[in-house]
Amino acid sequence: MTALMTVSMMINGTETEPVEVPEDLMLLEFLQEYLNLTGTRYGCGQGVCRACAVIHDGPRGPRALPACITGVAWANGRAFRTVEGHADRDDEGNVTAITPVQQAFLDHFSFQCSFCTPGFVSAAQALVERLEVEPVPVEDVEDVVLAALNENICRCTGYVRYLEATRDVILATPGLTTGVERAEES
Amino acid sequence: MRTLLRILAGLVLLGLVTGLVIFFGFTGAGPVPPASRDLEALDEEAEAEMYALGEYVAKAGDCAACHESEDGLSFAGGTPMETPMGTVYGTNITPSETNGIGNYTADDMYRAMVYGIARGERRLYPAMPYTSYHAVSRADIDALYVYLMAQDPVEKPNRPAEMVFPFNLRPLIAFWNLIYRPDPPEDPGPGLSGGEDLAEDRRGPYLVDVLGHCGECHTPRNLAFAKTDDHLGGTVIEGAVAPDITPQGLARRGWTREDLGQFLSTGLSPQGVMTFRMFPVLSHSTKYLPARDIEAVAAYLAQDMPDPASPPSDPAAVDAHPEGHGLYMGLCAGCHGSEGEGQPFGSVAMVGNTTLMLDNPLNLQRVIREGIPARSLSGHLRMQEMPAFGATLEDSELDALTEYLRDRWGVGAM
Repeated sequence: MTALMTVSMMINGTETEPVEVPEDLMLLEFLQEYLNLTGTRYGCGQGVCRACAVIHDGPRGPRALPACITGVAWANGRAFRTVEGHADRDDEGNVTAITPVQQAFLDHFSFQCSFCTPGFVSAAQALVERLEVEPVPVEDVEDVVLAALNENICRCTGYVRYLEATRDVILATPGLTTGVERAEES
Repeated sequence: MRTLLRILAGLVLLGLVTGLVIFFGFTGAGPVPPASRDLEALDEEAEAEMYALGEYVAKAGDCAACHESEDGLSFAGGTPMETPMGTVYGTNITPSETNGIGNYTADDMYRAMVYGIARGERRLYPAMPYTSYHAVSRADIDALYVYLMAQDPVEKPNRPAEMVFPFNLRPLIAFWNLIYRPDPPEDPGPGLSGGEDLAEDRRGPYLVDVLGHCGECHTPRNLAFAKTDDHLGGTVIEGAVAPDITPQGLARRGWTREDLGQFLSTGLSPQGVMTFRMFPVLSHSTKYLPARDIEAVAAYLAQDMPDPASPPSDPAAVDAHPEGHGLYMGLCAGCHGSEGEGQPFGSVAMVGNTTLMLDNPLNLQRVIREGIPARSLSGHLRMQEMPAFGATLEDSELDALTEYLRDRWGVGAM
């Protein structure tokens, strides 16, 4: 008989109502079954494919982590963003503006079946936000993008388009790279 | 007075002579047995046979463990071995005349492996496991020679050892050899070259203690860095615990002879998966050993073994360590299971896990902090990646988690 625990966490900027759940419940199940946020996908269930990636807003900044193997026992009291929380919405919940990452994925036709897409959106968004704080030299962008998205698996093999889209967002957004100075150094 | 001086002078002279005799007589290479066959006159068939046997010896002896290059060439050298006295790098043992052992004769190879004396009378550091290899049969070394000499030469210079003073003075190894180097046995037996003639009761010790040189990591060392009498008793080497693999130590942690065989041939058993410097041992050596060898090794390691203990488990640890239990449920249970049951080919079980049962928590903490890359074990057997939690967990949290795990399923519940 699994013990129960009461949990509450910040999801997409809103504190959830405290609710009693089994202590071995995974964050992904909590999102889908208790909050009806079904955008985060269940893929391998082993933290390997990253279809379930969500953004954890922690003390070290935003970071994508696999919700399928992260338990509510750890998530309790912490803050997360799911794919539903990226775009701007009006008071009725309708999307009014999508993020540059989401727009770039559309522009590049990055996905086909879309099963992996929420994970890619989370990983790419976390990367963009990290670069706002720690910009990288232009020549490192390809490597940084690959490192950030390398763990996300896409069975339709849209990798190149995901990577190109993310790269383009980073190069087109002022402040994410430190091109000129580094170019002179090297 | 005069007599006293004479006696003193005589003693000094005797001391000097004895010293020199010891130095040059006993610490260099000892006698070399005659070649097992005329290597110059091998016909094609005999050479192919020696080559195959040599490859087998190289794998059983795990030469590549240290002689592999950074980019994965088995014998081109470069693997660092860190000791408290400095770092030694595995040398190039491809047949390059400039950088490798291209000028070696089979006798030279025998001296290097059995006595630790390289060609040109250069003393090898005992990082080269000649105190284990001292009992390798001449026939096995001849076969290994044929095999190594048939490899492609790699023109990669050796990286000099980086030892701190006075250990950088190689001639001083003579004194170490004088005290710690065993003589080769009078009858080393046929070795692997003997085929069926190498009976199981000799095969196990030959593979474990001699060719496989398991004791080089698993046997504790003394202050002079020589292996102690606590054979295979377990120690810390290169920042990880090489566990106690005596029959008593293994039985205490629940190993059976069958588990040992499975672990050596596949890298995976109910007790866990090969990690740290043991993983290359699987990929270079044990997974290639034929069933007969695996059985002999397992039988030797499990010789006169007491009844293996059942997996320890103490549910009281849940209430005793609320923080550790919470961290386990939040970060570990997703793969390792809320009851520590694990998932086949994904993550090892905590129940029965040998790492949790080690007295020293070093390996457990390193695995949690550093993670383990996804790996191909043997055949089609794979294990998925274990993520690193070093950046997620505070030190105090890591300690709490470790304590919980060890009290729940490990040493604290035994």
